[in-house]
Amino acid sequence: MSDQQIIDSAEPAAVEEAFVIEARALTKKFGEIDAVRGIDLTIPKGRCIGLLGPNGAGKTTTMRMIMGLTRPTSGSVTVLGEEASRLPRSTRARIGLVPQDNNLDPDLSVRQNLEVFGRYYGLLPAEINERVPQLLDFMQLSQRAKSPVMGLSGGMQRRLILARAVIGNPDLIILDEPTTGLDPQARVMIWRQLLVLKNQAKTLLLTTHYMDEAERLCDDIVLIDNGRILDQGTPRELIRRHVKPQVIEIRKPLPRHLPLSQTEDLGDSVLLFVDDAEAVIRGMPAETSFQHRPANLEDVFLRLTGRQLREN
Amino acid sequence: MEALLNRYTFAVWQRNALTWRRLMWSSLASNVANPLIFLFAFGFGLGSVIDTMQGVTYLAFIVPGMMAYSAMFAATFETTISAYARFKMQKTWDAMLSSPLTLAELLTGELLWAACKGMISCSCVLLVGALWGGVPSLLGGVLALPVLFLAALCFAACGLAATAHASSWEFFSYVFTFWVTPMFMFSGVFFEVARFPEFIQILSWVLPMTHLIEVIRPLATGGPLALTAVLGHILLLVVLTALAFTLAHHRLRRRMFD
Ligand SMILES: Nc1ncnc2c1ncn2[C@@H]1O[C@H](COP(=O)(O)OP(=O)(O)O)[C@@H](O)[C@H]1O
Ligand SMILES: [Mg+2]
Repeated sequence: MSDQQIIDSAEPAAVEEAFVIEARALTKKFGEIDAVRGIDLTIPKGRCIGLLGPNGAGKTTTMRMIMGLTRPTSGSVTVLGEEASRLPRSTRARIGLVPQDNNLDPDLSVRQNLEVFGRYYGLLPAEINERVPQLLDFMQLSQRAKSPVMGLSGGMQRRLILARAVIGNPDLIILDEPTTGLDPQARVMIWRQLLVLKNQAKTLLLTTHYMDEAERLCDDIVLIDNGRILDQGTPRELIRRHVKPQVIEIRKPLPRHLPLSQTEDLGDSVLLFVDDAEAVIRGMPAETSFQHRPANLEDVFLRLTGRQLREN
Repeated sequence: MEALLNRYTFAVWQRNALTWRRLMWSSLASNVANPLIFLFAFGFGLGSVIDTMQGVTYLAFIVPGMMAYSAMFAATFETTISAYARFKMQKTWDAMLSSPLTLAELLTGELLWAACKGMISCSCVLLVGALWGGVPSLLGGVLALPVLFLAALCFAACGLAATAHASSWEFFSYVFTFWVTPMFMFSGVFFEVARFPEFIQILSWVLPMTHLIEVIRPLATGGPLALTAVLGHILLLVVLTALAFTLAHHRLRRRMFD
């Protein structure tokens, strides 16, 4: 009897998953289109991982496979220790999704959108009544609780979707372009809420087209293009690995005798990647028009994925 | 299947009920006005020409037919036009599937809600018909309601199977032309199926609504009813429901997850 109790009380300390997400050789074909061509990914608990890549790179497809919403063509993904294509309800309740396209319920009010989702997450009425006002407050939507969602600004709709994604207090939050199309104020607001969630030790996987956003929020970056991982690491590591640390943008015509080992031609100006910017600047004629800045993630992104337009 | 009647299914039902509640009064008004218009036209129009049908007044004859038709129409509309809007236009189903809901729970919730809409419609017909004096056996009319519920589930499941295969709104004009309208014309709403030429009777008995009316008309008019025949008709409705639901689930699974 007492032995049994000891065993029971030892139970909750059971195995914690080492990795929240583990993908192995994941691929997805849509008919003839190879959307994902072999992705290996391990995401440890409590990290914020940014999935970056041009349009059509396979970001959304990868995220949907992780959530079990798209069946992989081959390979495997486990999420919170369970196989993604057969997630039990208890595991699905620990995942929240902010989808790329707004799919709020236009027939319901702001508050009802959250209440209805609370029931989908299996919350009891008392829990819903407690949690919905908290979330509305957290996302600064309390004033609009009774509004129809169609009347909300883009930023408010995105915030409401984020509130909806965390209604079940998930451990893993997947965010597909949470800030695309928002004005700077609205983006800053979403960042603030994401940082709060990050500080609650939640694991975040997000995609974005804004490199400053990725640098600010993400511990690790995974760069993908054409359904493959190009490289991954912290923003600093990626910058160190792929470009020289300093950038000088010089308007044409270029002065002579420049160290042209790493350059990018932008048309009317040229980016010069160098180790020692001061030395180069000293060597340039006084009338040269230039700007000097440290290299950033956008430089890495453009270097690895190229400059041609991706329309999708 | 029993696992499908859980609180998650009910949550889907509740979502639809919530949106209906906003438009409840206009919806109820049209549910009452529709049968009124029909009964008015047929009660005074055809009713003055046709004295009795199967031994009852023509009014009493068409009330159960109208009940069946209104349940069928409401349930079908809900799982075709309305469900397709939620599926393809509003992406409500996508949002739902990103929560812990399963596809089977989502579809079961839709089905139950559609059947409830069918019940609201046909209850209004029963009410109007009874007040009009067109329901000889009120008890029978009420006993018809559970049968109508089963049938409404069946129509809802058939609608869902159609929606699962629909690639655009145009698809639903086929559903209404080749499914809903034939049931309106050939299932015995306005006169006995037996009066049709034989080849049309065969078509009639393929349509589930014919089986429904065959059960509920004797109930509402107080006519004779053979138990084995009733069980046969109900069994057919249940089997068709299961088949249509399985088909819808199978097809939507591929469409949404592949
Ligand atoms: N359901 C689908 N059916 C057919 N092709 C698709 C589907 N979803 C995505 N694709 C294609 O797969 C590729 C990757 O898409 P996606 O994962 O959405 O990229 P990203 O999110 O990085 O922009 C694109 O070429 C896209 O057109
Ligand atoms: Mg995408």
